[in-house]
Amino acid sequence: MTMPSANSCVENNVAIKIGNLNKWYSDHHVLKDISLDIIENQIMVICGPSGSGKSTLIRSLNQLEEYQEGDVSLFGEPLLQDNKSKKLIHQTMGMVFQSFNLFPHLTVLENCSLGLTHLRKMSEVDANQKVMTLLDRVGIAELSTRYPSQLSGGQQQRVAIARSLAMEPKIMLFDEPTSALDPEMVKEVLDVMIGLASTGMTMVCVTHEMQFARQVADRVVFMADGEIVEVGPPEQVLVNPQWDRTYDFLQHVL
Amino acid sequence: MDDSNLSNKPALKQFKPTPARAPLNTNKGIIATIKHRCFNNIANSLLTICVAVVLYYFIRHVLDWAVFNAVFTADNRRQCLAISPDGACWAGVLSWFNGLIYGRFPIDEQWRVNVGVLLALVWLLPLFSKRIAMRNFILLTLIALYPFIAGYLFLGGQFGAQLGLFHGAMTCLALAFLAMIYANWLLSALGHKGLNELFVPLFSRLFKHRIQLLSCLAVWLPLALVFAVAISFISLEPVDIDRWGGVFLTLIIAGFAISMAIPVGIVLALGRRSQMPVVHWISLSVIELVRSVPLITVLFMAVTLLPIFLPADMEFNKLTQVLVAVCIFAGAYMAENIRGGLQAIPQGQFEAAATLGLGYMHTMMLVILPQALKMMIPNIMTSFISLLKDTTLVSIIGLFDIMLMARNIANDKDWIGLHTEPLVMISVLFFILCYSMSQYSLNLEKRLKVDH
Repeated sequence: MTMPSANSCVENNVAIKIGNLNKWYSDHHVLKDISLDIIENQIMVICGPSGSGKSTLIRSLNQLEEYQEGDVSLFGEPLLQDNKSKKLIHQTMGMVFQSFNLFPHLTVLENCSLGLTHLRKMSEVDANQKVMTLLDRVGIAELSTRYPSQLSGGQQQRVAIARSLAMEPKIMLFDEPTSALDPEMVKEVLDVMIGLASTGMTMVCVTHEMQFARQVADRVVFMADGEIVEVGPPEQVLVNPQWDRTYDFLQHVL
Repeated sequence: MDDSNLSNKPALKQFKPTPARAPLNTNKGIIATIKHRCFNNIANSLLTICVAVVLYYFIRHVLDWAVFNAVFTADNRRQCLAISPDGACWAGVLSWFNGLIYGRFPIDEQWRVNVGVLLALVWLLPLFSKRIAMRNFILLTLIALYPFIAGYLFLGGQFGAQLGLFHGAMTCLALAFLAMIYANWLLSALGHKGLNELFVPLFSRLFKHRIQLLSCLAVWLPLALVFAVAISFISLEPVDIDRWGGVFLTLIIAGFAISMAIPVGIVLALGRRSQMPVVHWISLSVIELVRSVPLITVLFMAVTLLPIFLPADMEFNKLTQVLVAVCIFAGAYMAENIRGGLQAIPQGQFEAAATLGLGYMHTMMLVILPQALKMMIPNIMTSFISLLKDTTLVSIIGLFDIMLMARNIANDKDWIGLHTEPLVMISVLFFILCYSMSQYSLNLEKRLKVDH
């Protein structure tokens, strides 16, 4: 796939530019020279066998993991691994985890409004109003007074999505959002993500849901053994893979 | 697509769940339950009978000694023994009961102790009402402001003279705060807005930020002035600290240690987990040093060694030294409890907080500590209970706490040699205190339990 030139279209701004990212866990080389552009308003799906470094990559983008080498920039702003960059990153990116990571001692509403009232200094009324709109959007407004333990996995993940959206991120990162869910609940979470995709949100999703990738992804990245094997539109990577590694993987998951 | 497959599905049998049945009735009445539990076979029946016999003899002897053969009114021990040689002599304990509770606090001034304890309870009461906002803040003020009221009540003297103007000002602020909470509570119960809400429209025109805080101050400070004028004429009889004692002193030491243990423990626990080497090593050494020394040693060091290190003109009374020592001791133990709770919090919670953009303080205060402390309630309460009992050790360095008062009874010439009954009495007092603490912690656990 050819990269669009910088001045071709407003929508095609590069949101995150990753250049030669390298990461080691002691002497285990987990990310090898990753270079990737994440385009604004596009959905990128990262797939690959377990241990291929997909989650590590997405967590490195969010600086939940440290990396040893690499130039990452966010909307043209070069990111160092310091507190200033972390602050910028966490203001710009939201993240949804495989294990939801809701705060169990707070209600659904409080989970979502925590950042608004304490970081954005929004009044409680305004924050609650905003959160209720979001909860309505993910379809669980009526559960706002429940605690996370009283919700199903799918509902918890939708709360987690709403919690991230409340902070108005420009980019959403999804780290295997449906892997911990019962099969019956996968769809409700994917539906929310599809809805979000249709609003033009920039999304990076690590997922095994090939159906979802085919349906909404603008580009699919296939990773194996810490390297990017193939990048391209879904119909190319998922239907006509160029590499045997991709072909083998697709044989197993499809 | 899946949808098209579903729309032309073949004719299937319709699944209807079987209606649920009521559970079997297991409630068979008391006699049937006893028969089922205690006499269901020969071995169990024998065991039940044996236990019943042992219990009967034990309880009968205890009751004989403590109630049936006991003497409740006598002038001295000799009389007690003459009336009933093998019963308890409660008369001695009763004649010293006031001393057990108040120590050697002058009898005419003991109402001040009662008022002080009552004020603490009054301060705690709003914490149980859901109607009151910012209950954590009220708890903080209890720790920060209440000691000034208590200090004035218990020490006495001309207001603002003996204890200094700062102490006087803080006392007025404390009283005003209490009055404000109660006024607002009463108003909200009657369906009105709080006093400070009256100032909100005015201040929102004058200022941009912190309107709530300013309107609170607008009520609080004038109220404090009113209190200052009202109580500046009051002069209480000065009472020397040496005269404090009994349950009263035990409660002061334990109350102080308990309220300081959590903040000190949190700071030390977070310090120990800190990435900064200096903070880490200081916290680590404080915790390990204090934990590996018995409380008695810490108390002795506080009383004998501390004055050597301090400049000659600085002199603290024994109680202050003891309070500081107990506070550090309790804090070090609490730190390890809290650290245990912190370690049980999954990494995902930290990551979720970080990705929301919460900083260190916010993450700890809003996300991590509430969970960690809640998880550790049983351990924390165990520490508090053992702390309460450990305060009896201060009798060794000569503070007249309940233990020393109890032993004093045996030295009284009228009640010479009366050891057992005072000890039984303070066991009962301690049991009441400790058991109510443990019941409160169970209640707290139940109230805070929201996960699963």
